[in-house]
Amino acid sequence: MDAVAQFFQTFPYDQLLIQTVNGIVTGMILALVASGLTLIFGIMDVVNFAHGELFMLGAYVGVIVMVGTGSFWLALFIATLTVALIGAALQVVTLRPLIGRDPLNTILVTFGISLILQNYALWQFGPTSRKINEPITSHFILFYLEYPWYRILIAALSAVIIGGFWLFLKYSKFGVWIRATTQDRVMAQAMGIPVPLVYTGVFAIGAGMAAASGVLFAPLVGVNHTMGLDWVLKAFIVVVVGGMGNLGGSIAAAIFVSLLESYASIWVNPSQAVIVSFVVLILTLLFRPTGLFVPTPK
Amino acid sequence: MSDAPPSTQPLVLIEDVHTYYGKSHILHGVSLQIGAGEVVGLLGRNGVGKSTTLKTIMGLVQPSQGRVLLNGDPITGIPAHKLALRGIGYVPEDRRIFRLLTVMENLRTGLDRRGVTEGTKRALLDKVFKYFPVLAERRNQAGGTLSGGEQQMLAIARCMMLEPKIILLDEPTEGLMPRMVSQIGAIIDALHQENVAILLVEQNVPLTLSASQRVYIMEKGAVRHQCAASAIDVNDPVIKQYLGV
Repeated sequence: MDAVAQFFQTFPYDQLLIQTVNGIVTGMILALVASGLTLIFGIMDVVNFAHGELFMLGAYVGVIVMVGTGSFWLALFIATLTVALIGAALQVVTLRPLIGRDPLNTILVTFGISLILQNYALWQFGPTSRKINEPITSHFILFYLEYPWYRILIAALSAVIIGGFWLFLKYSKFGVWIRATTQDRVMAQAMGIPVPLVYTGVFAIGAGMAAASGVLFAPLVGVNHTMGLDWVLKAFIVVVVGGMGNLGGSIAAAIFVSLLESYASIWVNPSQAVIVSFVVLILTLLFRPTGLFVPTPK
Repeated sequence: MSDAPPSTQPLVLIEDVHTYYGKSHILHGVSLQIGAGEVVGLLGRNGVGKSTTLKTIMGLVQPSQGRVLLNGDPITGIPAHKLALRGIGYVPEDRRIFRLLTVMENLRTGLDRRGVTEGTKRALLDKVFKYFPVLAERRNQAGGTLSGGEQQMLAIARCMMLEPKIILLDEPTEGLMPRMVSQIGAIIDALHQENVAILLVEQNVPLTLSASQRVYIMEKGAVRHQCAASAIDVNDPVIKQYLGV
């Protein structure tokens, strides 16, 4: 009993709160990346290995716009729009011709695109990290830390983008088309829904969301050609844990996994804390392969 | 009523259509036609290619040979979503409503088309809610929570949102209670009154014969017999020969 009492007495509650905030911030960004990924998978059965590179591309477009205009917000807007258009073009040129083929084809294609984009970025921008300055630099005191307001802003903005997207899915014509096509693409066609256009639109939206998260996250880590790799790996974990193709599940899983990693890093090195994500992934695949955050299949 | 197909240009004409699923040859030269506003029954045992005929007309399956014409224009190879907007409605065998969408959202999938005014949308909704009052009551309920009969109503109502010239109706009474079956019969009659053509695939022979003007009977992927629906009854030797009832 003494040991238990001692544990609670010495428990680092301040760190717990700090890591909760950290976990939610990272979780919201991750949710933004993963929403696009899960949406693309859910509707087209395409596992988009290039998603991390769309994130990276967004950050680079952000760097260019920042250098040109000095406005972070303009950078965020233009990067989202540009990468959405690039995504649409990529879908039309490379994925649309493969509709109905073996999923392995699309995996190889998106993997190829990811390598091309990564090496293109290396060629154009070199190996040195670029910087995007955060739009607000003020801090607030969180226990012994000076916690940047910008991190809170990232979480809030991600929530706004995801919320806006949810409203779009729920109420707009295109949103209803997306949901109908996700559930039954043959019947969607028979109802006059232009399914190829829906696919392209969804890919563009997913790409735009990845780009937005790239720009939002860039001030924290710097921009380089491999920055997408970590994120896409985590996003894949989240998509599987949340239930492939399940948007709400992915968002919940993003926050859940990020919180677990944050809490783990109270006791272990943050690079070891990543192990927690993989443990969750493996346990999910073993015991609940349909996803943690979906109702039990009947 | 005559047993001859309509003499004017048919709404839908299928000529010598051959369709394959992979290497399986399903349709062996099917030819049939449906006039504007005509209700045509398509009878046959399971697996003779009735549903595939409907899917071929809808553009969901591409024929390897033969052609399908809509108002005299060849439509083979045109994607299904474009055919839907040109007036072909499809109510598939297993209903296939969008289970996670509400009743209203299911209807919206056919309603949110280019060129449909708010007034037309209102009128179309009023019409289906008059036919199917239960859908109005359940308009905000997810499609998957409806009973089988209600789902069938939703599938037909959803199709009506497209203002189709022809509805391809696949086994609409399958698994329904007798009360629902007669309701489906009534809705077919009502659609006929509105001059909507229907190609009806149905295992329920009495219903098909009473609802249709003409019937085609299929066997082994081809049409073997056609006649006016009034010319035969359930006990006709033709029915016994091809349907074994």
